[in-house]
Amino acid sequence: MNTAFIFPAFIADYTEKEVDFLVRNGIDINVYIKNVSGVLELDLPLFSYNSIEYKQDELLSQIIAYLFACAISDALRSQSIKPDFVSGYSMGIYAALYAAKSVTIEDGANLIVNAFKIVEEVTKTGEYGMAAVIGLSVDDIVQLISANKLDAEIININNKHSIVIAGVKKHIKLFLILAQKEGAMSVSELTVNTPYHSKYLMNYSKKFENFVQSVDINKAEIPIISTYNQRLCISSEDIKLDLVHNLTEKIHWHKTMQKLIELDASCFYECGAGKDLTKIARFIDGDYKIKSIYKL
Amino acid sequence: MAQITDKTREEVKEVVLDFFAEECEMEIDEISEDSSIIGDLDGDSLMFLELIEIFKKRFNLNIELKIIGKFAVKNPVQTVGELIDMQLLIIEHENNILNL
Repeated sequence: MNTAFIFPAFIADYTEKEVDFLVRNGIDINVYIKNVSGVLELDLPLFSYNSIEYKQDELLSQIIAYLFACAISDALRSQSIKPDFVSGYSMGIYAALYAAKSVTIEDGANLIVNAFKIVEEVTKTGEYGMAAVIGLSVDDIVQLISANKLDAEIININNKHSIVIAGVKKHIKLFLILAQKEGAMSVSELTVNTPYHSKYLMNYSKKFENFVQSVDINKAEIPIISTYNQRLCISSEDIKLDLVHNLTEKIHWHKTMQKLIELDASCFYECGAGKDLTKIARFIDGDYKIKSIYKL
Repeated sequence: MAQITDKTREEVKEVVLDFFAEECEMEIDEISEDSSIIGDLDGDSLMFLELIEIFKKRFNLNIELKIIGKFAVKNPVQTVGELIDMQLLIIEHENNILNL
């Protein structure tokens, strides 16, 4: 029986139990914020559940999700709960690296900021977006995109009923209307302007790779499961390659969870604010339990 | 077409209340037919899908999720009572639900 720590990318909704959980474990999230503020030379606001900046700003929302994930991982370790494997959903990869002791908290934050800056010219156009679709199959979605000549693509499969797409924003919006007509149970546009994990970022792959090579990334003490190809990444080289893939290639969360289950992971901890990964796990078969910190 | 009886309604209600009680870690008597699925129970569409799958197995239903999706878009549910009523319609009409 193995334990896996899994790390979300963004925070859709706080359970508002996160800060209490950390305080009970002697951790102040604002200390984490202050530490990385200095290193990143960013004026990060102190956290409160009502912080608008951390909800509206795409970069800050990634940073706060990362810091909560790192803090929660630290809190679990302080309770002697240690993972056998880690994996990060989308931008959750950086917190997974931290938990695997492959990067420092500052270097992880630095990777997030630089990944964001490198693709910022795409983000700034406001022309791209992402969306989640629930209730249509992969074939349905591919067919809808193809039949309507939409500039969009599937970039992640969360589970058998939940799929994420990225593409040109106006096409994403049209897709959402068509998907509902087709019988999707629900559709939602994500509040991002960056088409993560898609072909639209391919041109930035080399630039990000060059940056990643300049970062001090250590051999992982705990294997990191790639969401790109589900391989176990341990060496610095493998991790660096996976970081680049994670930004510009499609990921597959469903397969990643299946891989962890194959590796006998039966106890998962969702290391992050909210409970998005617990919700997504609803249609991932296996004999396992996910513990969200809001229940601990 | 399945015949819906009082017993069926009771059975569906029991399954729905048990489901939400377990998902939301609440006591069954804390959930009523007036409970708001989103506001009170933090429900979402994946929960709805899971309930459909539970009833699909339990009543051996021939249903396509896309058909339920089309029906749900036109007939959104907000409360547990409305959800129970929709599940009963699905059990009764299966893929013919769109013809209602």
